[in-house]
Amino acid sequence: MMKQWIVALAGGMLSLAASAGEYNLTVDRVQIDTGDFVKEGIGYNGASPGPVLRLKEGEDVTINVTNNLDEMTSIHWHGLILPYQQDGVPGISYAGIKPGETFTYQFPIVQAGTYWFHSHSGFQEPNGAYGAIVIEPKGREPFRYDRDYVVQLTDKHPHSGDRIMRNLKMSADYYNRQQQTVGDFFAEADEKGFVATLEDRLMWGDMRMMKADIEDVQGFTALINGKGPEQNWTGLFEPGERIRLRFINSSAMTYFDIRIPGLEMTVVQADGNNVQPVNVDEFRIGVAETYDVIVRIKDEKAYTIFAESMGRSGFGRATLAPKPGMTAAVPEMREAPLLTMADMAGHMDHGGMDHGGMDHGGADQSDMGKAIMDHGSMNHGDMAGMDHSAMSMSGGDASDPFYAAGSGLMPKAANGGKFLSYADLKAQNPLYEHREATREIEMRLTGNMERYEWSINGVKYEDADPVVLQYGERVRFKFVNETMMTHPMHLHGMWSILDVGEGKWNPVKHVISVSPATTVYMETEVDAPGQWAFHCHLSYHAASGMFRKIVVEGGPDSEVAERTQKGQQGGES
Amino acid sequence: MKHPYGKILIPFIAMVVASTAWAAGAHDGGHHDKKMEKPMVGQPGKAKNVDRTVAITMMDNYFEPESVSVKPGETIRFTVKNEGALVHEFNIATAAMHEAHQEEMQMMVEHGVIKGDRIDEQAMKMDMGDGHTMSHDHANSVLLEPGQSGEIIWKFSKPAELEFACNVPGHYQAGMYGDIEFK
Ligand SMILES: [Cu+2]
Ligand SMILES: [Cu+2]
Repeated sequence: MMKQWIVALAGGMLSLAASAGEYNLTVDRVQIDTGDFVKEGIGYNGASPGPVLRLKEGEDVTINVTNNLDEMTSIHWHGLILPYQQDGVPGISYAGIKPGETFTYQFPIVQAGTYWFHSHSGFQEPNGAYGAIVIEPKGREPFRYDRDYVVQLTDKHPHSGDRIMRNLKMSADYYNRQQQTVGDFFAEADEKGFVATLEDRLMWGDMRMMKADIEDVQGFTALINGKGPEQNWTGLFEPGERIRLRFINSSAMTYFDIRIPGLEMTVVQADGNNVQPVNVDEFRIGVAETYDVIVRIKDEKAYTIFAESMGRSGFGRATLAPKPGMTAAVPEMREAPLLTMADMAGHMDHGGMDHGGMDHGGADQSDMGKAIMDHGSMNHGDMAGMDHSAMSMSGGDASDPFYAAGSGLMPKAANGGKFLSYADLKAQNPLYEHREATREIEMRLTGNMERYEWSINGVKYEDADPVVLQYGERVRFKFVNETMMTHPMHLHGMWSILDVGEGKWNPVKHVISVSPATTVYMETEVDAPGQWAFHCHLSYHAASGMFRKIVVEGGPDSEVAERTQKGQQGGES
Repeated sequence: MKHPYGKILIPFIAMVVASTAWAAGAHDGGHHDKKMEKPMVGQPGKAKNVDRTVAITMMDNYFEPESVSVKPGETIRFTVKNEGALVHEFNIATAAMHEAHQEEMQMMVEHGVIKGDRIDEQAMKMDMGDGHTMSHDHANSVLLEPGQSGEIIWKFSKPAELEFACNVPGHYQAGMYGDIEFK
C-alpha cells in the first residue's frame, strides 16, 4: 500500500499541527487460494484480505479508492465514527463507486483500536473484499505488549455470494450438511423411542427449521489472514514477549470459538473499545466483531490458534511460533452442538413455551424436507399433547444471560476453564456519561427460514420505512430474537452500548450478537446526524431483508449548515 | 484516608509475617507451594529505618514508574496513589507469588469483594465457610480504590527476581507490573 505523509502546519502553530495521511486502495479481481480450492474473488491492492490500514488517532485521512472492477463497488469503514457521507453504504451514504472511477474518502480519525473495512455492495465482501484497520491511540494504551498481529478470520466458500444466495432462496437447507436424515430418525427412535422422536421431529418440522441448523452456509474453508488450515498462517515471537492479537471476524456467516491450547488469553478490547481486562481460555467471536487479546509466551514453543466454527462445520488454524516452520498439535473439532427446545422458544411465542399462541398457518405446507412423515394433520392439539418435560429448558450447569436457559449454543471452554461471556465485558473507560434512555424501540428479529426471508418486526428492508431518531436522544433498543439463528446486529455511525447490567461500565460495541430466544438491550447516544445503515451482519440475512435505514433528524447547527452546503448525495445501490 | 487496607499496621504485621505477610496462596495450597520456598523478597521495614521514599502512581491499568531500583538491605517507603478509575493493588513479590495471589483476587471478584471501581468491605469480612475471610491484609501489598492512597515500608534483602504488580484479575496480564532492579 502506498502511503504519503503530509505535515500540515496550522497557521504556523506546531502544537495544532494535525497529521494527515493519504492512502490508496484499488479494488481488484484476485485469485484466492484456500489450500482446498482456488477461487476468483475480489480484493484490495491485488490481494484478499486487503492491506492492514495502520492509522493514528487524531489523523485526517484521505483514502483514494479506485474501482478496477466492471461493477459498482463501495468501502464501508466498519466501526469508524465519521460523517455519514463517508460511511460507504450505497443508497444511504452515497451512490457507490462506478467501474473505473476513484472515490476519495476524507475524514478525521477520532478513535483508536482494531476495526476493519469491507465492501457494502452485493456479495463482494463474502467474495473477498475486506481488510483490517489498526488505529494507534493518541495516549498510552491501558495495557502493554511487545508486538501485535491482526488475526482476521473469514469463511471462504467455493461458491460465489450470488450463487449461495440463489441456492438458499431455492432451498434454505442447501448448505446444511448436518441436517438429520431418515437414517438418523431411526437411530434416534431406537434410542429415545419412536413416539418421542416423532414428536421431536414434528415440532422441528413445524418450526420450519432443521435441528442442526446453526450455520446456514456450510462447506466453507476458514481462513486466517487469508490462509487455510493447511497453509497455516504463522506469527513469530521471542519467548518472554507479550503479544497482542487483534481478532477480526470478517466472515460472511460464521461465528468462531477461539482458543490457543496451553495459553491463557487476556481480553483487553472488544469492537475497538478497551474493556477491563478479562482472563479467558476461550471466546466466541460473532460475525463482524473484533476482540483484542494479550498472550504472554514464556517458553520456546509453538502454539496453535484454533478457531472452530460455532456449528463445528469447519475450523481455522494458525500458529504462534518462535521460529518459522514450527507447529503445535491441532485439536480435533468438538462435536457439533444441537439447538434445543430452549432455542426455539422465542420462535414459538414471546411468552415462552405456551403453544396456544403459536402460528400454525404454515404447518400444513411444511414439506419437512428430510423427514419421512406427512404433516398435513398437524394441529394445535398435537402440539399441546407433547410432553414438555423432555425439553431441556433449564439444562446445562453454567448459565449465561446472553443465551436462552438450556440453549444448545451455550459455549463451554474446551479445557473446562473460562469462556468469555458478554456479561464479562465492562468498559475500561466509559465513552459516554451514563443516563436514562429517552425512549425504547423494539426490534423483533424475525424470519421465515423456509423461504429464506429475514426481517425486522416481520418486515423486510424493501417494504420498511426508515427508523427515525432525533439528534441528542439516547435510544434504548430492545432486540427480541424470534428466530433460531444468532444475529450479529450492526448499527453504523453511532456506538452500541450493550446492556450487561453494569450501568456506566456497560461496554461500547458496534456489533451486538443476539442468540436465539433471547432479548438483548443496547443503548445508543444519537450523536451523528445523517442517515445510516442498521442490519444483521450475516451477509445473506442482510441481503434478504434484515436491514433498516436509520435517519437521524436534527443536529448541531453547524452540521446542518454543512450538510445543506454539500447537498444530499443520495443514489441507489 | 478511611479505607482500612490503605495503610499498614506495622507492629501487627511484623508479628504475623511468617504466616500471612506474603502468604499469597498459602491456603490454596497446590502447585504453588514449591515456588514459595523462602523467596528472598525481603520483609516489612520500620519507619525509623526508611532510607528513602518512592512515589508510585496507579493508573488504569499500569504503574508509573514501571521500574524501581533498590540496593540490597535498603528500606524504602512506597507511597502509592490510585489515580485511576478502577481498584488496583500494589504488591511486592516474585512472579510466582503474584500468580498465586491472582487466584485469591479472582475469588474476591467472584464473591463481589472487588467491584471494578470499589471494594465491598462487608463482603470482604464475610466468613468463607472455612474460617477464612477475603481480607486483603498482606504486609507486602495495598489494595486501593480510585482516589485512595496507601503506603508500604519494605526492607529489601539480597538481590532477587522481584516485581511490583497489581493482581486484580486481568490487570497483571494486561501489563500492570514493574520490575524491581537490584543495583
Ligand atoms: Cu461491517
Ligand atoms: Cu441474521
